[in-house]
Amino acid sequence: MDNFLSILFNSLQTGSVYALAALAIVLIFRTSKTTNFAQGSIGTLNAYVGALVLSSWGWSIWAVAPVSILTAFLTGVLIDTFIIRPAAKVNRIAKQIITLGLIMIITGITPFLFGVDPYQLPRFIPSGSVDVLGASLRFNTVFTVLISLVLMGAIFWFIQKTKWGLAIRVTASNEVTSKLMGVPTKTVTMMSWATAAMLGTLAALIIAPSGSVNPNMMFNVQVSAFFAGVFGGFQTFYGPVLAAFIIAFARNTTAFYVTDIWGDVLVYMVILVFLFFKPYGIFGKAPVKKV
Amino acid sequence: MKHDDYVLKLDNVTMRFGGLTAVNGLSFSIKPKEIVGLIGPNGAGKTTIFNCVTQFYDTYEGAISFKNDEGSVNLKDHKVTEVIDLGIARTFQNIELVPDLSVLDNIMIGAHNTFKTGVVQHIFRTPKAKAEEKAIREKAVEALKFMHIDHLKDQFAGGQPYGVQKKIEIARTLMSNPKLIILDEPAAGLNDNETDELEALIHRIRDEYGASILLIEHDMGFVMEICDRVCAINFGQFLAMDTPKKIQNHPDVQEAYLGKEE
Amino acid sequence: MTDKPKENKLLEYWNAFATLVKRHPHVQYLIFGLVLVLFGYLSSVGVLPSYYNSVFAYIIIFTIVALGLNLLLGFSGLISLASSSFIGVGALGTGVFLNLGLPFEIAALLAIVSAAIIGSLIGLLSSKISGIYLAISTLFIAEILRQIFTSLEMFGGERLDIGTVELLGFLELSRNSRAQRFYLFAIMAIVMAVMMMVTYNIIKSRSGRAFMGISRSENSAAAMGISPLKYRVMAFTIATIFAAVAGVLYALYYQNAPTRQWGLLQSLTIIAIVVVGGFKSIYGMFLGAFIIHGLSELFLKELLGDVSYIFSGILLIVVILFYPKGVAHIWVDIRKLYYKFKYRNKEKDVIKDET
Repeated sequence: MDNFLSILFNSLQTGSVYALAALAIVLIFRTSKTTNFAQGSIGTLNAYVGALVLSSWGWSIWAVAPVSILTAFLTGVLIDTFIIRPAAKVNRIAKQIITLGLIMIITGITPFLFGVDPYQLPRFIPSGSVDVLGASLRFNTVFTVLISLVLMGAIFWFIQKTKWGLAIRVTASNEVTSKLMGVPTKTVTMMSWATAAMLGTLAALIIAPSGSVNPNMMFNVQVSAFFAGVFGGFQTFYGPVLAAFIIAFARNTTAFYVTDIWGDVLVYMVILVFLFFKPYGIFGKAPVKKV
Repeated sequence: MKHDDYVLKLDNVTMRFGGLTAVNGLSFSIKPKEIVGLIGPNGAGKTTIFNCVTQFYDTYEGAISFKNDEGSVNLKDHKVTEVIDLGIARTFQNIELVPDLSVLDNIMIGAHNTFKTGVVQHIFRTPKAKAEEKAIREKAVEALKFMHIDHLKDQFAGGQPYGVQKKIEIARTLMSNPKLIILDEPAAGLNDNETDELEALIHRIRDEYGASILLIEHDMGFVMEICDRVCAINFGQFLAMDTPKKIQNHPDVQEAYLGKEE
Repeated sequence: MTDKPKENKLLEYWNAFATLVKRHPHVQYLIFGLVLVLFGYLSSVGVLPSYYNSVFAYIIIFTIVALGLNLLLGFSGLISLASSSFIGVGALGTGVFLNLGLPFEIAALLAIVSAAIIGSLIGLLSSKISGIYLAISTLFIAEILRQIFTSLEMFGGERLDIGTVELLGFLELSRNSRAQRFYLFAIMAIVMAVMMMVTYNIIKSRSGRAFMGISRSENSAAAMGISPLKYRVMAFTIATIFAAVAGVLYALYYQNAPTRQWGLLQSLTIIAIVVVGGFKSIYGMFLGAFIIHGLSELFLKELLGDVSYIFSGILLIVVILFYPKGVAHIWVDIRKLYYKFKYRNKEKDVIKDET
């Protein structure tokens, strides 16, 4: 029971990290019609910024996090303005390749900016835990899960209930028509990239203390977030978030009961088999073939 | 009319998309070497019928039979990629060519199913593969000459004017020795001269290649000029099938196009 | 060749040769390979710096993988983020089978066949999952293979040592001898030329046209009897075979096989090579490999440090945005410009004549 509970608590934390990343990927998918492979790299880059500030000026993580989030916002805006917007006319696969190029640029630039040694980032709440039926639950876990849930709740509310949210939804469903109807699709797309970058960076800041800030820190998160997107279907905003928690639980369980390495391989295999039979996710529908 | 003297026969065909019935209990047949026009207002289900015949849609009810030299087959037993082997070739409403291949190569794709050699033979350029490629290239040039566009054979298909692209698509259907050619709006977007030329070409295709032709067209003048018989449908339902003259004066058809007279 | 050379026998031979080359691209590829061999010779005898040899060896490896990936990306419209992993399958597979005591040729063949089997499975997958989902699924495949390479003991942890290779049962070649290393290089250059010929034969055949049919217009392809399933499986299988051949050459030339090198970043480098070199171009793959790998290894590294990823990433994005035809197309555009210029000048001449 205590094992199960600690897996559950763990999964809530990793699940919220995956969910943040998945939400970011879906947001960009819906407004820019591409899967952003550089999502993880953008988060990593800004986590590095935070780690650098923390290690050179000795700020606390509470002061560093806003700095990272701010640079993430700027990264998103810059990427959209200089790369994504000019690429409006290229085809889907070429757009994907552009985001792959972003990975290369960011990966190549980090050693120049931040050196080759990994950095450490502390937890938001460094110590303290409460005992729940024999399993210990860190205050930090409670905090990060809560803040992720509140943030995602706010985003859902924003998308569903506000005028800007409506703009996002109509841009997602048909950009050309939206533009003709006077929706500022450019701003919508730019804000989606900025928001996605901030979500990814937050995910990176949450995951960093359990390892280090290094170029590959977001790889697993990224892969899981993609799976969450595919599993939940890119057509909805809530599907991927739900799927993120499911996959976090599945991963942690296999990692605990099977071996660490082969657990991941097993999960990927299951993903591929799943994709083969339900290529558009559990909530998604295959597009209608028009001849 | 002898009942079993047909190339294509639709028997009570119904196609539903969710709650929408696009084609409803449609029956008609096409005789050998006949040119049949399928007409109806927009949204009448014409292209849907084409897609059922060529098995792009395989969830229709009813039976579609096709008769070739080997006898009669139920098309539903065949996949979309097998239909051409039986002897049915088609064109598309929106032109479907490979823009970055030459006109000649596009035509050669039309003979894809007649090739006997496989990729390993192609990799090693075996004499057999070479000979086959050459024969099909010559046949493609013939098809291009037939359509009067052989001077364009080495240019990219993507850069050609609309009328030429339509002709390329038709030339491509000739490559598989079809018994039935299905043309989806062959005259759409053509000017008067091109339309006249196309009329003559379609007649020649029927005479020289011995194929039946089923076509959708909105240009009524074209349909009346070219077709042996015309089948009129509306909202997926059969209205009438007869000679162009009689269809023109058919009360149900007039009503479908012009509305009911009060 | 309309004007007949009368006075010079040498010119006559040259013209006959030029016609032969013009008519038969295969001869061009062979000559290209031989020029590379000569290049390798010059660098092995010290006329050119000797490290050029190993840089160009890697360029050759990249060229072969890129030729395969181009069949996917450029011709079939399919994307793979696992091409680097299959070089790994080729290199590590060769090593493992050699360790079992098999002759080199058999080991290489088995490694290529294993890669082809996995490749055909991905092809099967791609028949269901297309478009942007496909990239994600190939990412999973790459990750699975990476785990297998780094975790299974038979791949030796960090690297698998291969050592001196015995070809055809008698020809022992070691990379430690300068002369023998040149022979290894020459073998690679010739294999590359052969792979270029194979690519040419595929794309100029029914199969090549079918690849383009399924990607440019899947509906009409189906109506003409081209099965998307069959050709997707075929495209992926051929692409993985190309990558595995490159891996075999890696094992042959470097005579060891590392386990950690075959990840996403190298796959991205290969994508950059295809994009920068030019979709659907054969020489473009060599050009792309030279620009992406060669330039940063030979020149940029000394000037700026290891900027290869930044350089490739920027080039990749710039080419997609501003010159999607790729660098190999430049000379076509230059020629067009030249004719335009010439034509315009002639027009001016005509006007002058009239006045």
